[in-house]
Amino acid sequence: MNQNPMIPSLGKLLEVRDLATDIKLFRIKMLDGGSKAFHTFQPGQFAFVSAFGLGEAPFGIANTSGRGPVIDFAIARLGSVTTALHELGEGDIVGVRGPLGNWFPMKKFIGKNILVLGGGIGGAPLRPVIQYVLDHRSDYGRLTILWAARRPDLLVFTDEYKEWCAAPDTSLHLTVDTADENWKHESGLITQLLEKMSPSPDNTVTITCGPPIMIHFVTKMLQEKMGFAEKDNYVTLEARMHCGLGKCGRCNLGEKLVCVDGPVFNMEEVGELLETFL
Amino acid sequence: MSKFNADQKRWLISQAELEAWLDGISNARTLIAPRRVSGILLYRPVENSRAIACHNQSSGSIHTERPVLSVKEFFFPPTERLFAINKTGQEIYLEETFPDWETVIFGVRPCDAHGVELLDALFLDTNPVDIFYARRRRNTTLIGLACREIGPACFCTSVGGAPDDAHSVDIMLYETHGDYLVESMTEKGRFLIPGGEWKETTDRHQKSAYAGQFSVPDNGKWPEHFKDDYWTKISERCLSCRACAYICPTCRCFAVRDELVKKGEFERIRCWDSCAGENYRRVAGGHKPRSEKGERLRNRFYCKFYYYPEQYGLGTDSACTGCGRCIEVCPAGVDITEVLMDLEKPE
Amino acid sequence: MYQPRLIAFLCSWCSYTGADTAGIARIKSPANIRVVRVPCSGRVSPELVMRAFDQGADGVLVLGCHIGECHYDTGNHRAAKRLPILRSLLSFAGLEPERLRLDWVSASEGERFSKIAEEFTGIVRALGPVHWRINSSAGHTSNQILIAADEEIPFPETDCTAKTNSIRIKARELLASGQVGCVIGYEVSHRGRTRPVFVYSPEQAERLVWNPDCTNNLTTYLPAKLRSVKGKEPSKPIAVVVKPCDSKAINVMVAENLYKRDQVYALGVACDGIRSADGNMQTHCVTCQESVPIVCDALISGDTSSHIQRLSSYNGKEIVALQAAPPAERMEFWLEQFDRCIRCYACRQACPLCNCPECLYERDESTFIGLGIRLTEKRTFHLGRAYHLAGRCVGCNECERACPMNIPISLLNQRLADEIESAFDFRAGLAVAPSPIVTILSGEYREG
Repeated sequence: MNQNPMIPSLGKLLEVRDLATDIKLFRIKMLDGGSKAFHTFQPGQFAFVSAFGLGEAPFGIANTSGRGPVIDFAIARLGSVTTALHELGEGDIVGVRGPLGNWFPMKKFIGKNILVLGGGIGGAPLRPVIQYVLDHRSDYGRLTILWAARRPDLLVFTDEYKEWCAAPDTSLHLTVDTADENWKHESGLITQLLEKMSPSPDNTVTITCGPPIMIHFVTKMLQEKMGFAEKDNYVTLEARMHCGLGKCGRCNLGEKLVCVDGPVFNMEEVGELLETFL
Repeated sequence: MSKFNADQKRWLISQAELEAWLDGISNARTLIAPRRVSGILLYRPVENSRAIACHNQSSGSIHTERPVLSVKEFFFPPTERLFAINKTGQEIYLEETFPDWETVIFGVRPCDAHGVELLDALFLDTNPVDIFYARRRRNTTLIGLACREIGPACFCTSVGGAPDDAHSVDIMLYETHGDYLVESMTEKGRFLIPGGEWKETTDRHQKSAYAGQFSVPDNGKWPEHFKDDYWTKISERCLSCRACAYICPTCRCFAVRDELVKKGEFERIRCWDSCAGENYRRVAGGHKPRSEKGERLRNRFYCKFYYYPEQYGLGTDSACTGCGRCIEVCPAGVDITEVLMDLEKPE
Repeated sequence: MYQPRLIAFLCSWCSYTGADTAGIARIKSPANIRVVRVPCSGRVSPELVMRAFDQGADGVLVLGCHIGECHYDTGNHRAAKRLPILRSLLSFAGLEPERLRLDWVSASEGERFSKIAEEFTGIVRALGPVHWRINSSAGHTSNQILIAADEEIPFPETDCTAKTNSIRIKARELLASGQVGCVIGYEVSHRGRTRPVFVYSPEQAERLVWNPDCTNNLTTYLPAKLRSVKGKEPSKPIAVVVKPCDSKAINVMVAENLYKRDQVYALGVACDGIRSADGNMQTHCVTCQESVPIVCDALISGDTSSHIQRLSSYNGKEIVALQAAPPAERMEFWLEQFDRCIRCYACRQACPLCNCPECLYERDESTFIGLGIRLTEKRTFHLGRAYHLAGRCVGCNECERACPMNIPISLLNQRLADEIESAFDFRAGLAVAPSPIVTILSGEYREG
């Protein structure tokens, strides 16, 4: 069955819980046969989750295999497949196909400071990076996390902030576009927060994920205002995908395919092509 | 897939011998050949050689020697079942389905055969191998037929091909004074040739020197034109249908869908799609990259001449076979040769 | 004994309750009927009916409130107008018309419900099992229907210089004065192909031509070009070169609020007919009775002495032949035609009136048509699209001309245009008026 990469393996939902408004965390344990493929996966990879009968869609894997043997996905309810997934509960069976794509070169980042910028549901593929750094804390320098959303109720993984902040030389900065009365932290766009913090490019790599427009402005600011080199700015992109194997041609970013040449890119590779996503 | 045999044998056969041979093939396998269907030529299954029509009768017809659709559909069909899903309550069971029958396609024009070779680069030579394509490819033998002339919209000679190019087929036929010169190109092809019945010959097909009509910009030239206004201008007449992509021998975009078969049973299928469609890249939140016609048409040309060759290792070749179908079929007169010639013009 | 499987769409307010009444009163009704409850009989769209037949229903029964008693006032009027049109279309495609029935039952009419159900079951049983549902294994042999070829009129040499010049002069004038921002016309490409061109300045007007190959319906570009975009200035009016058939589309588009009449400047050409690829006159030109465009701001007439002789009356030979054949043969005919279809949507995109932002037959979450390129879906797409054009199609025939596979789809549109004319005394495009039946969400539902 697993010889054919178009056929998903079956997984059981161990847990389905709310992360934010219309965003749920799905924790999946693969049933026999599939677990081998998911024995190890790298931060940044993605997989297709099938709601059988409706279809499948690609989602970033939201944890590291070191914290396995489960696979986490953070899924926002936006279309027919995600709506169907949101109606499932513990014990239900879904299809999982992967792990696919490339990953963040964590080995290359050893010894460097890491600046993570996550916007909304874009935080999901960044969580494995954070988990990896925390699990190998002494290998990396300062870890700075900028976490943003449109509203406070759209911030993801809020119950993990404590763990992140508790780690040595790690800081977390939150901002929302529109605050409510209970909001105690910064408000404004992530670019405003970034400008305020004005991080130094010295020995630092950045990893950004969020809506294409956010990636565009954040990387522009990092490069033009703060002097980061293009090759030190990493992004993970999303595009509509159908096969995820580099065959159907849908997810192209110029001559690159997001599903096989990505979803992790550095800005030197992407450059102006990002505009075709806007 | 096709290797030239150093000791290539050649035969000279008559029309009658050709028909008898094809009749024999159609008894043992599925024989597909050009047929006239409602006024157009299409590659279709035929029951015997009498149904075959390799040439267009009317000279005024806009369709030339080759059928309206390429042979792509026999390796990469318009709709294909990937697997069946049986779903009752909590139980889910997936069942693979594979195509598995022997096919021979006769009358394959060189541009179409070249198209198959280009699709091989994607489906076979790039990992992961596409099992559905591979099965069909393995079970199919291609018998090529050289074109007698270059059609009004054809430009295979400008993209490295020729009307009598024998690349990528298992057996090649050349029409010569009412008879046929037959060359077997591969082991698979040799297997189909009837033993001692045919007259061997030392004649060779004289490859005519066909000149290219124009030159195609090479890979390096495309990135610099990406932001030109040009793409918006030439796309104004485009209707964003998908005719060009579907009849193209090498366009390969597909969509994957789950569809209901009957209660408790679904199937996951893949079917043709095209980047020319407006909703091709739409994401669930509603955002639609490439919402402008110019962006989509630009993507289609770039993919054909730059992205696909880069992605699948074609070197300096493009993914276009020069068959000219897109020019004939476009309801609005978009012309790929015009674009290529415009790009080559010094600014 | 063969028991037909029937689907009944019953409206919540009257017929569903009527069926209930029959049950409570213990009046016997056939068990073959599966009920689908809808708010109103007007809700029953062609997609629902076709889906039922595609999935193997032997008959479909639609019951609504009596006319005048609809809970939504005119919902059942909608059903009364459009279901018979749908039935004639399905019949043309080979489904016996008796298999689709529309009737009226009120909440208290338990007896009546039972009687209709009994009657309908009997009729459908007598017809035998339906052959509409396509089994993938079934092959399709050549159709037995001999379609008489319409008389072929070779296209004679015509001199179009006068018309070409008039178009250029007018275009230059309109662009120079700033009255329009763009002229959509025809040009000849470097390989001799006549095709649409967009001209924005008086100098570019030299590219415009008129010749017997000016087949495209240029009005199809108007909705997108004139669409108002939030934050952007409304675009200047656009001039478009139109033939008589094309110009009728403008009337329909204005009736559907796609743009305002004063946003379009119609350069109407007195047309002598258009040449098809084989050098003869196009079939729909042969019988065209309109030589001067109805919607016309400036008439391009040229030399009228070269008026070409055409048939004096519409004969519709192909439709007559199809109607005369038995339903099973008609069905085979159409299945063979649709078999060639590749769902490239050239027909839909070339059609000026097909301009829904997202086509109903291409939605990701469609529940009544798959996205596969398979015979069932192809047939549903073409029949559905023809239905959506009932009372709107102006007969420009671009759909059939654009089809790469030579499928005679405009026969469907012609058949429905005839049906609409006989039922409502209405022909699309002769005035600014919407279709007499609600086919798509248009007209009052579109933003002005």
